Amino acid sequence: MQLSKDDLLKAYRMMKTIREFEERLHVEFATGEIPGFVHLYAGEEASATGFCMHLDERDKIASNHRGHGHSIGKGCDVHAMMAEIYGRGTGLCGGKGGSMHIADLSKGMMGANGIVGGGPPLICGAGLAAKKLKTKGVAIAFFGDGASNQGTTMESLNLASVWNLPCVFVCENNGYAEATSSKYSVSCDDAADRASAFNMPGVVVDGHDFFAVHEAAGEAINRAREGKGPTLIECKLNRYYGHFEGDAQTYRGKDEVKNLRATIDCLDQFRAKVTSASLLDDAELNAIDSDVAELIDDAVEKAKAAPMPAAAELLTDVYISY
Amino acid sequence: MSLDDHTPSIGILANPAAGRDIRRLVAQASVFPIAEKRNMITRLFSSLGRLDIGTVYMMPDGNGIADRIRHALETPPPTGQTWPRIEFLDMPIEDRAVDTLVAVDKMAALGVGGIIVLGGDGTHRLVASRAGDIPITALSTGTNNVFPAMREATIAGLAAGLVATGQVPVAEGSVRNKVLRVDINGVQSDLALVDLCTSTALWIGSRALWKADGLDQLFLSFAEADAIGLSSIGGLIRPLARSAQNGLRLNLAEPDNAPMVVTAPLAPGLLVDIGIEDVQELRPGETIPLRATSGVVALDGEREIEFSARENLAVHLEWDGPLTLDIPRVMAYVAENKLLTRMNQASGHAKRANQ
Repeated sequence: MQLSKDDLLKAYRMMKTIREFEERLHVEFATGEIPGFVHLYAGEEASATGFCMHLDERDKIASNHRGHGHSIGKGCDVHAMMAEIYGRGTGLCGGKGGSMHIADLSKGMMGANGIVGGGPPLICGAGLAAKKLKTKGVAIAFFGDGASNQGTTMESLNLASVWNLPCVFVCENNGYAEATSSKYSVSCDDAADRASAFNMPGVVVDGHDFFAVHEAAGEAINRAREGKGPTLIECKLNRYYGHFEGDAQTYRGKDEVKNLRATIDCLDQFRAKVTSASLLDDAELNAIDSDVAELIDDAVEKAKAAPMPAAAELLTDVYISY
Repeated sequence: MSLDDHTPSIGILANPAAGRDIRRLVAQASVFPIAEKRNMITRLFSSLGRLDIGTVYMMPDGNGIADRIRHALETPPPTGQTWPRIEFLDMPIEDRAVDTLVAVDKMAALGVGGIIVLGGDGTHRLVASRAGDIPITALSTGTNNVFPAMREATIAGLAAGLVATGQVPVAEGSVRNKVLRVDINGVQSDLALVDLCTSTALWIGSRALWKADGLDQLFLSFAEADAIGLSSIGGLIRPLARSAQNGLRLNLAEPDNAPMVVTAPLAPGLLVDIGIEDVQELRPGETIPLRATSGVVALDGEREIEFSARENLAVHLEWDGPLTLDIPRVMAYVAENKLLTRMNQASGHAKRANQ
């Protein structure tokens, strides 16, 4: 699939927005102003972007604890996300969810999730709804190598296969479940290998390469949309920060992240490819960099200035009536 | 040579990454588990251990084959088997193609008498680029390959060991292969063992080439009618043996605009109509400039090179490819010369014959 110039600009803006959002949170979290935990997605942007570029308003995603990138990819408002992470009343969930519970059902973002392996069952529901309502919608779950070992994930793979649901399971294998290497904790060679046990295709893709992810994602999403069933795609990638902010990362090599940033950064790869092919030039990409920097500055400024949720709202939004 | 410096050694190079690409999604390509590669390797050990191979050098990896072999070495071999000494090469592991290149260089420096390769066309292409005149035993680990064959590892191990120990002369059991070389701005860049195809696709992306859209030129070192993949296009029009002096070059077009259309199995389960403008033989040494000014070059079915108008690319066929074992020929020599046959002097038959 050839991408138009507008598509390329959109993809770069999405990846850059995710990166700047996360890099800024890394700085701001250290000031102690942000409550709760944040788990940063920096380094993994090509995965969320490669998938979300194919999605529209019919589609749903379920995320995990490292969910900022997926949320931005699915179109959640960056200002409202930042405010949510700061616990402010203007946040996407009224400031009562925080980083790990960002959700915006109006955008098809069914939520970040503090439960490891919590997302895959949700997309079975979303996929079943899309199938029954004949919307041609697709449901995608993003989860990590740790969640790939969870029973909920196995059950969801099984159910999606048995019911032939329009689901795509995206295992973002960044090499570590918290501090445990996936080479130790995942019993099969690749998490994608598990697909064959559930009678669906399983593919490994380079999660640092937007174009590789975008191509594989397009095939899997189209397959699901056409009623041909679910797919498991394993994106091999790396995170630039710890499991959570404050993680000392004693389990990683001394220059591991430095080398990753220098050699396989997804944004650098993207820029090199599109400029080398004369599809975009540096000035166009630099202009996006400036826009995004302003956007994130503004989001942080507004979040800090926004009010906390009122005490009277403490018990609202806890349950929802259907 | 082996660590004891007087017995022959062999290298084994197994690609831990083979068999997980997008062809599992867009076609019905097979999944070849690492557990089976490990089993194949231990079957190689059983053959090599019977043939006085002192040391087997193996490429380490971070994806499970090396760990499984180390685990297998923790317990004695199965009854009746003697395994050679197994040494993992001392090298950094990047879990990328460069590991294969480094491993082949190290095996060559250690003077191995052969390299047994487990992988697909891509892995063999990498090994071929560095192996020089070291005989390669090519073993396929999947259904989507043309260069290596699916063979029982026990027999492949016997053939490789018998050549490495000198019991079968290299000249008797091996064949030289053609290669397709691609030059970028006049400088030799890379090679393909079977097929080199250009596409107007802009990105390497998920690597495999499985769609007819944008296919532009196809160069083949050989073309078998019963092959899978891009070489089947030539094989179904003008079959050409591996031993044939020339190769083929085809100009491709959209099926609706082409004088000829061939239905080719581009991947397992995937039959695609390919439009053919013309087919010509490609003579060794003849340099053909690519007609596209931008796009990608796929080597043995995988997109490897992105190029733009700034680069001039040209392709040529050469007879300086890798030396590979012809296993049926090796085993025929073994039978003819009774290399695995001995008379049992203690048996009743022998005693009676001697009286």
